[in-house]
Amino acid sequence: MRRLPRQVPRRGQAIATALAALFLLLSFAGAASAAEADTVARGAYLASAAGCENCHTDTAQGGQRYAGGPALSIPFGTFYGPNITADPDTGIGRWTDAQFLEALRDGVRADGANLFPAFPYPSFTGITDADALAIKAYLFSLPPVRHESRSQDVWFPFSWRSLVSIWKLLFLTEGPFQPLADRSAEYNRGAYLVTVLGHCGECHTPRNWFGAMEADAFLAGTSAGPDGKKVPNITPDQATGIDKWSEQDIVNLLKDGQTPDFDFVGGAMSAVVNDTAQLTDADRKAIAVFLKSVPAKPFGGKG
Amino acid sequence: MRLSRMALGFALLVVSGFVAAPAGAEADAKVLKDREALMKQQGADMGAIKGFLDGKEDAAKAEKAASDLPETMKRIPSVFPEGSGGTSPGGKFATKPEIWTDWNGFLAARDTGEKKSEALLAAVKAGNKEAIQAAFADLGKNGCGACHGKFREEVKQ
Repeated sequence: MRRLPRQVPRRGQAIATALAALFLLLSFAGAASAAEADTVARGAYLASAAGCENCHTDTAQGGQRYAGGPALSIPFGTFYGPNITADPDTGIGRWTDAQFLEALRDGVRADGANLFPAFPYPSFTGITDADALAIKAYLFSLPPVRHESRSQDVWFPFSWRSLVSIWKLLFLTEGPFQPLADRSAEYNRGAYLVTVLGHCGECHTPRNWFGAMEADAFLAGTSAGPDGKKVPNITPDQATGIDKWSEQDIVNLLKDGQTPDFDFVGGAMSAVVNDTAQLTDADRKAIAVFLKSVPAKPFGGKG
Repeated sequence: MRLSRMALGFALLVVSGFVAAPAGAEADAKVLKDREALMKQQGADMGAIKGFLDGKEDAAKAEKAASDLPETMKRIPSVFPEGSGGTSPGGKFATKPEIWTDWNGFLAARDTGEKKSEALLAAVKAGNKEAIQAAFADLGKNGCGACHGKFREEVKQ
């Protein structure tokens, strides 16, 4: 009779402890998965800012998301963005975090081979660990797709992957992105979005004979862009650039594709606008603030 | 005799060529001008709607602009007669040959534009700014922008 009251509380205590433990465990798991979901959502946002799909999804041919992209023809050959889904055999499913970072930062594939700089690692090299791994978490949260990547069709001598090491020595300035202490947080955010994630310079900057961006003509436009197209000057140059554009004009373009004279951009930029339309107003504004402050250059950087 | 007739015929051909060429060029110039004017009108209409969204224009002006758009969309094929490729008078843009080699694709892009402009007009009439903004962006990106991407190119400097 006396043991019972002692036992009951004990059993009750045990149950309570177990319940508390279970609750703690569940809430911890819940917090973990909520944090994971946050990372994936952030990764999705960053993947839009980086425009990953434009090169890694063949939208026009109804290709599956991130399972491989359409042809990108540049003066050195025709490139096809490979499968970056989590498929272990044809995608990047076996890549570790370190390998993913190395690809983005140093242009090295998981098997150690050089990536061609058609993949914009000269820009992505400035990405933060957290942003890169959020993108990876996002890609790995999507259904893996089994789809062999197409081999690249690169002109000799650019076709020698080993030669890319020399190219990197000459032209790759490895990150990370360095914010400028004497500039606003908004400017630095814009600089990160334009020069790193958005890799705007990869199309808007003329290239030298070796296919590297000409640093002193950054964003000055080129008549030899992808697919041989002209890409406009987006520095604040009076005659050929966007000097007359207000920050709001730039924000409008990034949101709806509308220029200040009420034209709507087409071509490759319309795909970019589909991405920049996903950004927050604050990020679009930051891009505008940065673009208005880059040095003005004549079209193509010459003149 | 025979030779001179041939010579005469040849001369006539040359002369008619000279006479016809300027006339053709004039007709082309008119088409290019009309084309640019139509596009600019559509741009101005989109600008008025954007102005309304930004609180700079009144609703009546936006509605007038929005009702203009489906009408101008209908007139697009008339300013792209076959063989009228060329550079816009402003010198910025040129037609791509695909307009005529893929005429059905061109018409389909125009149909898309008209449908989206109808949707925008409906949204403007209903008056919800969020819905107007969505329809505006949809028409701009997937109507105007999609067609420009396929059938227009920037002139190289």
